[in-house]
Amino acid sequence: MNDKMIQPETDSFFDEIANNFTNVSNDYRTIKISIKSSDWVSTITKLKDEHGLIFFSWLSAVDWTNEVVTGEPPKDKVEECFEILCCLSDIEYGNLVIVSTKIDKKNPTIDSLVDVYVGANWHERESYEMFGIIFEGHPDLKKLYLPDHFEGFPLLKSYELLSREVKPWPGEVDVEAMPDDESENKEQRKEE
Amino acid sequence: MVTTIDPENRPFVSEASVSVEIETEGMTLNIGPQHPSTHGVLRLVAKVEGEQIFNVEPVLGYMHRGYEKLAEVRTYPQVTTLVNRIDWVSGFANEIPFMAATEELMEIEVPQRALYIRLILTEMARICSHFVFNGAYPLEIGALTPLFYAMEDRERVLDLIESVTGGRFHPNFNRIGGIKPAAGAGPTTKKDIQDLPIGFYKETQLAMEKILAAADKFEDLVGGNEVFRARTKGVGVLPYDIASSYGVSGPILRASGVKFDLRSTTDYLPYKDLDFEIPIGENGDCYDRWYVRLQEIRESAKLVLQAIDAIPTGPLQTKVPKVIKVPKGEAYVRAENPKGEMGYYVISEGGLGPYRLKIRTASFSNISVLPWILEGVLIPDLLAIMGSFDFVLGDVDR
Repeated sequence: MNDKMIQPETDSFFDEIANNFTNVSNDYRTIKISIKSSDWVSTITKLKDEHGLIFFSWLSAVDWTNEVVTGEPPKDKVEECFEILCCLSDIEYGNLVIVSTKIDKKNPTIDSLVDVYVGANWHERESYEMFGIIFEGHPDLKKLYLPDHFEGFPLLKSYELLSREVKPWPGEVDVEAMPDDESENKEQRKEE
Repeated sequence: MVTTIDPENRPFVSEASVSVEIETEGMTLNIGPQHPSTHGVLRLVAKVEGEQIFNVEPVLGYMHRGYEKLAEVRTYPQVTTLVNRIDWVSGFANEIPFMAATEELMEIEVPQRALYIRLILTEMARICSHFVFNGAYPLEIGALTPLFYAMEDRERVLDLIESVTGGRFHPNFNRIGGIKPAAGAGPTTKKDIQDLPIGFYKETQLAMEKILAAADKFEDLVGGNEVFRARTKGVGVLPYDIASSYGVSGPILRASGVKFDLRSTTDYLPYKDLDFEIPIGENGDCYDRWYVRLQEIRESAKLVLQAIDAIPTGPLQTKVPKVIKVPKGEAYVRAENPKGEMGYYVISEGGLGPYRLKIRTASFSNISVLPWILEGVLIPDLLAIMGSFDFVLGDVDR
């Protein structure tokens, strides 16, 4: 190990976060803080001002539901909600925190982070068009990738993936035998 | 589309109207979507006043392929094929954070030799990406020659990547728990150990020495060019605090004077066993962004040379189940890609595929700062600034 390497202060940083916030987990080396949606802006402002997390990495959402049209549904019963995730980092030691909150699907509204991090602007627009989440206080909440006339919210679990409707994926059936498998089989057959 | 702007509330008065007293009307200029100096299709709607831009709005989505949705209906090994195509200039590097995140969730220890081969190929992908930049950027501001030199030197590296993986741009070479047995290494039977191709180390050494020489050549050819310096020095200055609040990462952030490189802070690949410098810029202008990337070519070549000396022997794959099921959990792993921070937030519900895969790409956040940085610049500088951001639209739109 050479001296030039900056050592990540992950352990002491986790202690720092765990002492200052409740509901902190550190599974799979990913520090995650779960908060109430009313504390969304205040918690993130606190992380930026007091814990040096000045780098806005990303913001996105998860559609938690058991009624899944595309893909596999969760095995256990999950609470119907949108989970909003926001990833913050510093630009010195590589400390990283994921902030998570849950909002009701019937009223998918949350305060915008644009006043805290300007970079949240495009990420919030993406979550708006993909999930239909309204960010209150966003200066220009409109579609980012999709055309204006596009209907529906594509990343919802209830949104069908058209290509799969037209032609179902063969999945594991599609796996062909390797060429050497065949030769081995032939050899076996000869021996037989 | 031309709109008239109220002359009373004109934000900028162009110099032409002051000196020659010509009335210039503000107008909306549509740039793109066909290839405006960059790799992919981006459209800019710029409000200009003479030659000066006072508002620019990027219009995205021409390359949007919906990878996050597509990943939800695929199994974990199938997702590798998708993520290859995000930033196609450095396809191999895109696979690494996804593999690392999945292996983190499965609690798999990857053999050291596989990690070293991943490291070598990632650094080669970085060299490729930076050579494309070094060729394309002078081209965008009027110098045609460097492109041909850059492509020649990039080809050396692409040949090496091809000799190992069998693919030039989309290797699809990583497997969960290690790497795919290399191409071109003897007969394809299960009994023979398939490893790096014969003569790979020697070829790599020769190629890297040529790459180091090419970096010197570029420093003279491009950096020593008076016109290039005049077009880039002091143009498009990006302070580090603005950059970090927009999420701008990678060489652009380092050009603004921040000594932050995920290769030295995280352990997704064994960088801590090797010795490398983190080049940083002083002014955060276009010239620094070019120069940081040029120096990164040298550091990457040195890393490859060290790695082929230090590479241990051993297996290329850990034993993994034939049908890969990832236990329930959530993990975020990010990596220093040529363009900046790339990360995957994998949410697994214990199934064959991810329940949700959030892909964090570098170019998306990098170009979100464009409206800020392009405010008040001249149209010729627009190309100089946009080119210096080195974004790939596949990486922006996903």
